[in-house]
Amino acid sequence: MNVMWLVTLLLLLAGSGCSERIFKHTTDVSPSAGPPNRTALIRAEHLPNIELTTHEGRVVRFYEDLVKGQVVAINFMFTTCGNTCPLITEHLAAAQKALGERMGHRITLLSISLEPEHDTPERLREYRQVRGVGPEWIFLTGRRDDIEFLRRRLGVYDLDPVIDADPSQHAGIVILGNEPQGRWKAISALSHPIRIRQAMERTILPTSQWPTGETVVNEVPSQDNEAVETADLSILPSIK
Amino acid sequence: MGISRRDLLRWGIVIGGAAMLPDGLRPRLARADDLPSSPHTDPFLMELRVGQGIPPVAQPVTPFNTLADPGICVNVDGSTAFHVSPPRKVPANTEFFLIHERPLSHSFSPQLPKNILWGYDGMIPGPTIVAKNGTPQLVRFVNDLPMNDPVGIGEPISAIHRHGGFQASQDDGYPLDTFCTKQSRDYFYPNVPADGLEQNLHSTLWYHDHAIDITGPNVYRGLSGFYPNTNYLDTGDEATGLQLPANFYKGAPVGPFDIGLVFQDRQFNREGYLVYNTFDHDGFIGDKFCVNGLIQPYLRVQRRKYRFRFLNGSNARVYQFFLSTGDPFVAIGTDSLLLPHPVTVQSVRIAPAERVDVVIDFTHYQNNSEVFLVNRLQQTDGRKPSDLVSPGTPILKFVVGDKPAFDPSQVPATLLPVTEGPAQLLPQVKIQRRFKAERSNGAWVINGEFFDENRINARPKLGEPEIWILESGGGWVHPFHVHLSDFFTLSRDGKTPPPLERGRKDTILIGGDVARETKILIKFDGFTGRYVFHCHNIEHEDMRMMAQFEVVP
Repeated sequence: MNVMWLVTLLLLLAGSGCSERIFKHTTDVSPSAGPPNRTALIRAEHLPNIELTTHEGRVVRFYEDLVKGQVVAINFMFTTCGNTCPLITEHLAAAQKALGERMGHRITLLSISLEPEHDTPERLREYRQVRGVGPEWIFLTGRRDDIEFLRRRLGVYDLDPVIDADPSQHAGIVILGNEPQGRWKAISALSHPIRIRQAMERTILPTSQWPTGETVVNEVPSQDNEAVETADLSILPSIK
Repeated sequence: MGISRRDLLRWGIVIGGAAMLPDGLRPRLARADDLPSSPHTDPFLMELRVGQGIPPVAQPVTPFNTLADPGICVNVDGSTAFHVSPPRKVPANTEFFLIHERPLSHSFSPQLPKNILWGYDGMIPGPTIVAKNGTPQLVRFVNDLPMNDPVGIGEPISAIHRHGGFQASQDDGYPLDTFCTKQSRDYFYPNVPADGLEQNLHSTLWYHDHAIDITGPNVYRGLSGFYPNTNYLDTGDEATGLQLPANFYKGAPVGPFDIGLVFQDRQFNREGYLVYNTFDHDGFIGDKFCVNGLIQPYLRVQRRKYRFRFLNGSNARVYQFFLSTGDPFVAIGTDSLLLPHPVTVQSVRIAPAERVDVVIDFTHYQNNSEVFLVNRLQQTDGRKPSDLVSPGTPILKFVVGDKPAFDPSQVPATLLPVTEGPAQLLPQVKIQRRFKAERSNGAWVINGEFFDENRINARPKLGEPEIWILESGGGWVHPFHVHLSDFFTLSRDGKTPPPLERGRKDTILIGGDVARETKILIKFDGFTGRYVFHCHNIEHEDMRMMAQFEVVP
C-alpha cells in the first residue's frame, strides 16, 4: 500500500509541475464569485494546452487548436499496439464512416500516441494510410510527459501503477466532448460501433434533434448472454 | 509485481509515510483525480435536528387520478422509457404522496457559501416516506428541476428507485424509465413482503435517482432519501412489537429516537462550491464528510437507547465506523431487513448503498459527555479502501444529555426469524449463474460486457431459488446490488460469511481484500419482468457496469 502511495506521489509531483506550466496561459478561466459553470470548470481542470504534433508534422496546441469550440472524439493509442487495439481502431473507423454517411463528418477524431518517441509523424501517417481513415481523423504525437498529463486529466489511467504502465490498457476508452457546451462523456471503444456512432451523434446534436426511442435501442440487435450452470451444492460452508 | 522500495531508492525518493508530508501536499495525495482539496471547515458547527438534516416525514395527500407513464423523456443515451404503463389501478386503502424534485439553496457548513442542490421536495435528504406493511402507496414524483443548469452537476432527467423495495418492474426505477423537467411519474408500492412471508418484512429502504448514465452526479447533487417500512414487529412505536427505539410511544410522538443517518463524501472548490469530476470513472471520492448533508455535524442525545439507520449514500467511499469510546454497540439490521438476532459489534463496515441499523445506548455515559462516531477506514480512490487508521475521522459528535431519560425501548434477543432460509431452499436449487466483475481496458464489465438496453443476462424463473456466484479480481471492490429481491450470503471465498452477512442483504461488497468469490442464494417472487443488477459504485454503474435479468413465469 505504501508503495502505491509513493508512486502516486511521484505522479502527482510530476503532474503538479506540469499543471502550472500548462495551465498558466488559460487566463480566460478565472475563479468567479459564483458557483463554477460546467464549461469553464472542464476547460480549467481537464483541457490543458499542451503542444502536440500532427501526423502531417504540424505543431498544434491541444486546447487552442484542437478542442476549443469543437466537437471531438479522443482516444489514446500507439502504432505497435497489438492486443485489442486493431479492434478498437476498426470500431472507431466504422463509427466515423457511418456517421459520415448519416450526417457528414461533423466530429473530429483525435488519436494521441502513448509511445510518442516511437510514433513519429511519419509513422503515424503510415499507420493512418494503411487503415484508410477519413480526413477528420488526426493522429498526434508529442512530449511524453505532456501526453501522460493529458491522459490523466481526461480520466484515462489505471490506479494500479503496473497496469497504468502498460499503454495498451489505455486504448479502450473514447472520450466524446462538445467543448462549447461542456458536455463530455466516456464510452468503451469496445462497445458496438453503432453505439459509438450514436454517442457521437448525440455529442454533436442539440438534445432536441437526437434520434431517440426504440429505434435507437434496437439498432443494435439483441444478443442475450445467459449462461447457466448446474448448481454445485457440495462446496458450501455450513451456516446455521 | 509492483514497484519495490529499491526502485524508489534508485529514483532518489524516500519518504517515511504520509505523516511526514507537508500539509500542502496531503490533499493532493488524498485524491487520485487530482482536484484541489476543499477549503478548511471546522467540525461540529451544525446541529443535526428535525428540520436541519433530519427531514420531516412525508404526509399523505388527497388521492388523485394516476397518470400513464411519460414515454417521451429522452435519456442521455438517446433511449426513452422501456416501461410505459397505463395509469396505475390502486386498491382503495392506498396512501397517496406528491414529491417535487426541485433546486434548493443548501448550507453544508456555515463556513462555506450556499450551494444550489437538487432535493426531493427541496430537502437534503429528501422527506422520509414511511410505509406500513399492508398499506399500499402511490407516490407521484414531479420533476421541477431546471433545464440547462450552468453548474452542470447532474441532468434534470429522473428515475426513482426505491432501493431494496419489492415492487413491479415499471415501478422499480428501471434506468430507462425516466421523466424529464415538467413531467412526472407515478410509482406504486404494494408494501407487502415477497412471497407473503413474514421473514421478508422490510425495515430500512431508501429512494434515490437511477437515470441511465447520470445516476452518479444526480445522487451527488442531492437526490436521495429514506423510506423506512413498519410492520407488526418493527412497529415504529416503543410500546408495541419488538419495542425497538422509535419516534412514537403509545401512539404519541417522542424523540426522535430512530434517526436515519446518511453518510456522503463531498468535494468543494477553493471558493466553497460543490464540484464533481465528470472524468473520474474510478468512483468519486470527496474529502468532506457529510451526515445528512451537513459537514461533521453534532447531535444532542438523551441518556437512553437510540436506533440509527446508517446508510452509505456515497458514490464510491466505503466506511468503517467505531465509537470514539471504544464501546461496542448493537447491529439489529442489514440493508432492508432486521437481522434474525442482534449482533454486538465493535465496528461496522458499510459500502455504498448498504445499510446497517444499529442501537447505541447512551445511558451509561456521563452527563454532558461527548461521544464521536469515527470513520477509521481510509480510502483515497474509487478502487478500494486501504487500511484502518487510528484515530480516524470523527464524522458525527453525540452530545449526551445531563440525566438518565425514560427509555421503554428494548433490543429483544430475537428480531426477525428466518423460516425459509438456506436450509429449506438449497435442496430446491437446480442452477447457478456466474457473474464476473472485472476491469477491462479502462472500464468495468460484468461477464465481459457493458450494460446494453437490449441484452438480458439472466432469466430466472419465478419462485425458483438459484445460486449466483459473484467473482471479482484485479484489486477493485464493487458493491454489488440486485433489484427486486433480498438474498442470503452462502459463502465468502468458500468460508462461512461473517456475522453481519448472515442476515439477508440486497447489496454486498465483493472483490478487493473482501472476497474474490461470493456465493449468494436468491429467489425472485411476485413479479415477472425486467430488473437490473449492478455495481453501486455509481461511477462504475454510470460507465455501464450493469446487467439485467428478466424474471419469467
